[in-house]
Amino acid sequence: MRFIKHALKTWLLWELVKGLALTMRYFFKKSITVEYPEERTPLSPRFRGLHALRRYESGEERCIACKLCEVICPALAIVIESEERDDGSRRTTRYDIDMTKCIYCGLCQEACPVDAIVETQHFEYASETREALYYTKDMLLEVGEQYEAQIAANIKADAPYR
Amino acid sequence: MTTLFINDEEVTVSAGTSILEACREHGADVPYFCYHPELSVAANCRMCLVEVEGWNKPAASCCTPVGEGMKVTTHSESLAKDREMMMEYLLINHPLDCPVCDQGGSCKLQDYTVEHGAKHGRYSEVKRAVVDHDLGPFVSTCMTRCIHCTRCVRFADEVAGTGDMGVLNRADHMRIEGIVEDALESELSGNLADVCPVGALLDKPSHDVARPWEMTRHKSTCTQCPQGCDIVIESRGDKVIRIKPDKDGVEPWICDRGRYVHDAFRADQRIVAPAVREKSGLVNVSWDEAIQASVDVLKDKRVGIIFSPDWSVEGLASIRLLHDSVFKDAKVAFDLHRRDMREFAFEEGFSMSSAQIVAADQVVILGSDLRQRLPILMQGLRKRGNEGKPVTRIGAMNYRTNSDLSADALIRPREWVAVIARAMQQLKDLGKTAAGMDAWLEKVEERHEAGKLLADALLADSCALLVGEEIRSHSDASALIHGLDLMMRASGHAEAGADGRNLIPEGMNAQLLSAVFGDIRVSAGDLLDAASDGELDALVLIGSDPMGDGLFSMQAKRAMGKVPLVQIGAIAGQTSEFANVMLPAAAYSEVEGTFINMEGRIRMAEHPLRSLGEERPLWKVMMRLVQAFGEEIPVVNLTELRARIESFLPEVSGVWDDDVTDDECLLVARNRDANSMPNAIEPAMSLDVVSRYSMYREGMWVRASSYLVEAGDIHALDDLLVHPNTLKDAGLSAGECKVRTTSGDYDYHIGVREDVAEGVLFISKRGVAGDLSCEVMASLEGGQ
Repeated sequence: MRFIKHALKTWLLWELVKGLALTMRYFFKKSITVEYPEERTPLSPRFRGLHALRRYESGEERCIACKLCEVICPALAIVIESEERDDGSRRTTRYDIDMTKCIYCGLCQEACPVDAIVETQHFEYASETREALYYTKDMLLEVGEQYEAQIAANIKADAPYR
Repeated sequence: MTTLFINDEEVTVSAGTSILEACREHGADVPYFCYHPELSVAANCRMCLVEVEGWNKPAASCCTPVGEGMKVTTHSESLAKDREMMMEYLLINHPLDCPVCDQGGSCKLQDYTVEHGAKHGRYSEVKRAVVDHDLGPFVSTCMTRCIHCTRCVRFADEVAGTGDMGVLNRADHMRIEGIVEDALESELSGNLADVCPVGALLDKPSHDVARPWEMTRHKSTCTQCPQGCDIVIESRGDKVIRIKPDKDGVEPWICDRGRYVHDAFRADQRIVAPAVREKSGLVNVSWDEAIQASVDVLKDKRVGIIFSPDWSVEGLASIRLLHDSVFKDAKVAFDLHRRDMREFAFEEGFSMSSAQIVAADQVVILGSDLRQRLPILMQGLRKRGNEGKPVTRIGAMNYRTNSDLSADALIRPREWVAVIARAMQQLKDLGKTAAGMDAWLEKVEERHEAGKLLADALLADSCALLVGEEIRSHSDASALIHGLDLMMRASGHAEAGADGRNLIPEGMNAQLLSAVFGDIRVSAGDLLDAASDGELDALVLIGSDPMGDGLFSMQAKRAMGKVPLVQIGAIAGQTSEFANVMLPAAAYSEVEGTFINMEGRIRMAEHPLRSLGEERPLWKVMMRLVQAFGEEIPVVNLTELRARIESFLPEVSGVWDDDVTDDECLLVARNRDANSMPNAIEPAMSLDVVSRYSMYREGMWVRASSYLVEAGDIHALDDLLVHPNTLKDAGLSAGECKVRTTSGDYDYHIGVREDVAEGVLFISKRGVAGDLSCEVMASLEGGQ
């Protein structure tokens, strides 16, 4: 009996039929993948993408060169140099993040007392050279300007859980 | 001794110790803000509360002396509650700006808030803000952060002696004020930033530049004055951010000169690559080319070598090796202040340690602006003065000391001999004599009453004599020092253990220099004159700047350009314009080396900074030169060099063998057969010239540091000063005058000050009136 069942399944390609049935079931079901880049999945407000340096509404940069992000960075990706600006405030003269070192852990954002360094939801910045992944202060500020609305909305959305 | 129990552990401390000190000694952790081991007790922060069994309330441990059998508890639930409440009080007005505060990361308030503070603040009212002050180029303020511990006020009163910090108002209106015109007056003002437990007083030059956790600490020895303080150089990467006193060192403070000289470590004047002069100017070349160029300049020539005493012991010994291998007949000089090259009865260096001097029954300062010359020793003497112990001073200028002197006399340099004779006569009359005294006395007819002060001091059980630059640079210095030596021997202050003969040296390593170069040294002035007169064919300057420092700038200016010059060093002064070859040698912060301070203490620098460019340690440069001259290299590594040094100076043997640095001091060279007799001085001109050693101007490193230059401008006096009576006698008034000297006439602006002895022309700015420093006498005439 067992022998007959096995022979039938073998000669009627039963497993193939079963597999194709599954394929066909999914074929007619609604698809769950998106067609990147035309379509995109939603991102969490806590998504950790490219870094940005933010400014206040007045245009003043937020960073006060406390260097907490630099010291907490587990990958030593951040380099900061600071000085006293002419008006007496403490400011950075250099703020570099090496994106090839960065592990996107988000600790810099956690450590920042003034929400100056944040990780945006922007992640499409692949480049052909390593040099292009070495972000300087100006580049980071530019990223901040570009995504400010989004960053502010994300921080607001996440605020109740902090 | 008192026995008490701290946290149930039995400890014994000396009677009168405070509970806090007993706890610190025995490792029990008690938090405090206002207490400082070097300052008096204020007991106003109330953070150091401890419980004593049987007392109904907690005691402030810093101001409570220990009692026999006392049972002290440093940690309990109720103490934790008390400390939490104290922290809450202290934090009421303290801003929450730790991220922008330089103290953040090394702040007591921050640490104790984490350790003892409440988890949440309850204060929601308005915080107060306080106006900041400008305290000059070294200390920046943010008085809103102040917690009123008054450490700075006590520092200014007790240590600096200037009293320029004070407290105004009380309670919520209380504030600390700097009572300053342009800048803090103290030469120790940089210590204020270290003393402040919070971020109210901060180091200005390093403000907002670095964080404490980024700093690498290099233990080193300061070579800016003969004191040779133990320092910690804090660098971020290779850049020096600040210099601090070493907490494990002998002295708790360092002076502004040693602290802010670090600006020069990266100054443009640094020699970082070998260079050779071509038509277009100095051109950087490779080491090989530069060494070859030096050989071309120096080979088979009559050579004069002037070097700075501030190199490490290894560097200085290698100069002697170079001399012995290549320039056997070369003239060598290193002291830019000494005119009289006859043997001194006691050579440069201290016989006593600073602690012994401070503890001596009598201290006599002879002709020295000790506050500028040795600020840290002067600080010790000030502490002694505050305790009511006598300090006597005799000299040509009433130098500001910030403490009361028990006796003070103004004399002119030509009167030194009479002063010593008067003192010697008094000792002789009291039956205290030494062989040779009569012969010395016979040579001098005059007696000066200031000598009584000296003799009175010598009659004490222990007496420390601090012989300063006015005597060391005197044209008859050897005779004066012989006279002083006779008196010290006659009054019993020359025996081992109580030897009070201290001659303030030019720079570091005095003991080594007199042992190694004693037989070949000449006066720097004579050496430079020989160069200008054609008796020398080439000059080698090793870290020395005779044009900018010392007394012989006029001779140096004459000599420069007359003969080819090879300059070896870490930093270049004015002489660099004339250098044919420049060889870079590593600075004191950049070498592994040994230094001997004026007391003879041996200090090691073991964690050097990385050099900026192609500098090599001086001893390697010297050995390279020996090799280039085709001679056999005497030593090839540091171990061999050190073995060689032990043959020059047997006392240092063993210091490199183990890690432990011996605290025993080297002894100063004695010349028992020195017997120079005073010469009758022909008073050819009416005025004696005395020039001031200024800590903000003397030395190439200092002149290259913008912070110290700024401070020097703030603390500057008029270029030339005289006593009003001197002017009156000459029938002149202050202003432009003609100064007549043996070498010519010069026009200068003359200022008036009663602090100057009558008959003295006081040069307060060597940089401006530098040419006059080499003169011994002058006279004044009316202006144009």
